[in-house]
Amino acid sequence: MASSNMKDIKRRIKSVESTRQITKAMELVASSKLRKAKERADNSKPFFNTLYETMSDIVSEDPAFNSIYTRKRKNNVVLLIVIGGDRGLAGGFNANVLKMAQERCNELKSVSDIVVLPIGRKAVEYFEKRDFRIMERYENIAENISIYGASSIAEKIINVYNKDKIDRVELFYTDCKSPLVQEARRLTVIPVEIDSRKKDTGLTNYEPTPEAVFDSLIPRYVSGVLFGAIVDSFAAEQAARRIAMENATENADEMISNLSLIYNRARQSAITQEITEIVGGANAQD
Amino acid sequence: MKTFKLKIITPEKVFFDGDTEQVIVRTTEGDTGVLYGHENYVANLPAGPFRVKIDGKFKIAAISGGVIKVSKEETVILAMAAEWSDEIDFDWAKRSQADAMKRIKESQSDYDLKMAELKLKRALNRINISSLK
Repeated sequence: MASSNMKDIKRRIKSVESTRQITKAMELVASSKLRKAKERADNSKPFFNTLYETMSDIVSEDPAFNSIYTRKRKNNVVLLIVIGGDRGLAGGFNANVLKMAQERCNELKSVSDIVVLPIGRKAVEYFEKRDFRIMERYENIAENISIYGASSIAEKIINVYNKDKIDRVELFYTDCKSPLVQEARRLTVIPVEIDSRKKDTGLTNYEPTPEAVFDSLIPRYVSGVLFGAIVDSFAAEQAARRIAMENATENADEMISNLSLIYNRARQSAITQEITEIVGGANAQD
Repeated sequence: MKTFKLKIITPEKVFFDGDTEQVIVRTTEGDTGVLYGHENYVANLPAGPFRVKIDGKFKIAAISGGVIKVSKEETVILAMAAEWSDEIDFDWAKRSQADAMKRIKESQSDYDLKMAELKLKRALNRINISSLK
């Protein structure tokens, strides 16, 4: 009985060990991808910040400023862009951002029509399964997205917005605050929310006109926001996966050490029993 | 010559950050030169050439659409992409030109046509500038 028990334990140790190898490898891959992705995410920030500043300068300087991209419309049709991951096994990464989007859908459902633009396989699967109206789906683009990739998505959205088919665009993504902290976020893309601050910049000469400059900045703004969010989400996904896999590896280690302990105990008790039997047998012969 | 601060920022990186004597850009309204002490100025930039003078010598770059913003403190150019003339990948630009031409022929809507035209303009801009070394 003892030997079959020992065999079982041995087999379990082997299986946990091979799982541990996989999780360890995934952890290493995720952490190297994270480094690259974080760098890209950080590099995209100055562009976006300056762009936003320029736009808010235009709005602050002219009190009568008016653009179709800042005007609030009745929210008849709302477009939700949801950025998820392309793979699972990343802790709560996908669940958090999808939950946030779902909650917003529940809020909006009674007053407006909802159209979804999911980015990432997990997001696509989620919204397809629940029969949402989908404007366009994008899978496996996050890792190697270029600004032109983001730009072509942005142009499509703006095109639809200009035809009055949608009235509001919201974006759900995950912010990679640090390698340890990721946070799902919601952002209103259009109408553009500008905090018009009073800044004494003096008069600026806009060519051709402030409105023309502003409107031509919009596609770049939306591409910039999208690009930033996609890159940031990808970094967050890697960070989440790294942590999840680190924990899994630790758990595997713990399981292995527990199992080895049980195995050794079983081995010892088998030996002890054998000795007792031999001694018992010898005594009986005397 | 007096110098001023210039920053060229793309979504992928800060392309240039340093002092310059003069900047010449092609805006939607025509070529504009910026020297030290220029008035506050903001203009749209289509895909076009861009010259910056450092230590008396002009360097040429291609930018793919953006905006220039001149203020007292600094001049900032936001561009979707930027490359120095000697860094342009000529073969890639040629391929992208061919691809754009194909798309123009096959375009089904005004929107597709507009996008393909913009792509063609960017490619031609790169090709022109890489020959300007």
